[in-house]
Amino acid sequence: MSDVLAAHAGAQSANEAAPTAKNHKLDQWICWWSLPIFYNLFGFIFVYLGKLMPPPRPGLTTAEIVAFIQANASSMQTAWVLLTLSLGFASLSSGLIIVQMKRMTVSPALPYAYMAALAVAALPGCLLCTILFALAAFRPDRDPEIIALLYDMGLLSFVGSLGCFATQYMIFAIAIFLDKRGIFPKWLGYMSIWGAVTELVAAPIWIFKSGPYAWDGLISFYLGTIIFVVWEFFLISSLSKAIKQQPVEELTSPCTV
Amino acid sequence: MHGLEAPVMGGATSRRLPGDVNIWVFVIGDMLIFSAYFAAYLFADRVGNHELFLQSQQYLSQNLGFCNTLILLTSSLFVALGVHAARLGDFAVASRFLELAGACGVVFLFVKAYEWYSKLVGGLTISTNAFFMHYYVMTGVHVVHVLIGLTFLIVLWRELRGAPTPRMELVEAGGIYWHMVDFLWFLIFALLYLMR
Repeated sequence: MSDVLAAHAGAQSANEAAPTAKNHKLDQWICWWSLPIFYNLFGFIFVYLGKLMPPPRPGLTTAEIVAFIQANASSMQTAWVLLTLSLGFASLSSGLIIVQMKRMTVSPALPYAYMAALAVAALPGCLLCTILFALAAFRPDRDPEIIALLYDMGLLSFVGSLGCFATQYMIFAIAIFLDKRGIFPKWLGYMSIWGAVTELVAAPIWIFKSGPYAWDGLISFYLGTIIFVVWEFFLISSLSKAIKQQPVEELTSPCTV
Repeated sequence: MHGLEAPVMGGATSRRLPGDVNIWVFVIGDMLIFSAYFAAYLFADRVGNHELFLQSQQYLSQNLGFCNTLILLTSSLFVALGVHAARLGDFAVASRFLELAGACGVVFLFVKAYEWYSKLVGGLTISTNAFFMHYYVMTGVHVVHVLIGLTFLIVLWRELRGAPTPRMELVEAGGIYWHMVDFLWFLIFALLYLMR
């Protein structure tokens, strides 16, 4: 035990010999780098393997749906396996966003609410849709009506859950507008309002099977998705700025909440 | 930008950007988002169903739409007068104008609620046809913008009443946002209610 303590003390003094702002923030930078890596992987899983993006048409016949599932069965299952292995990375990025939000002059209720809202949205928007496609692919020779049901469930869960993200966007916008320290730029708050409003417009997918408000529609799917990608890009770049601007003294003080 | 700057003395009336850059990023982006709604309405659905869209349009009340246009134009005038008063340092008068503008916004919502109610009672819902889908989505998204605008006006009102030196950038940003809400309604009114 004492050896361990001595070794620890030795390591600490070695660190103190040359403390730079950079290695103090190494933990945050690890979290930050997980963001671009995760979202690229996420894109690969959803677009290339999962066949959820761009979404296939809602108007397919049962026979066409079965053919679609059979043709992509193995890649849909690979998508699910890769997602289970990599979804944990999303928690690293959430941790980083929460830490930076807690530096704002707002109640910690907002960052916690942000985290909870994302956790709720991840279930239908990320996990359910991929597992339902993988499930359909597991026995592609079962009753075609059941395959068609799984197909509908997967896509309605994927696109229909966009409204869940509206809460997360609004919480983020409110936190940015109330914050007096300027941790994130004000325009990112305004962008979050675009996000919230465009996600709400995914609601009509329950009514229409074709046109701009169907689940593969220009308005209900593409508009919200394009804004999400742009927003995510600026969120990642703003996070990097926030880490750089964080004073080193703040890092050593214990977390109070 | 440099060519537009007026060579004025003193600087109090120099031509700077009203509000701040952030609000302009928002307004331009929001206009682009609405352009997507307008494009979807005009080119994705209206082109193939011209007759249906004209027939459905008959069920909209141009009178109510026109009333709401006047109400929002009036509220925009009050906001402009409020921002002007705030610039002159008359914060009490400015906050009065914002109250009037907010009251107009609330009246707009009541008229809109009545309009929706009368359509729904008449059996015209979002799933009736493509025209009413666009009608409900566009007016609905606009109502969300009005609600955000009313929240913005309350923030400004508190700033003018409470802060020792109200931030003019914030007051101007609120004004810009409200004018955008007004302008978007103007476009929606023209496209949905009037266009033949």
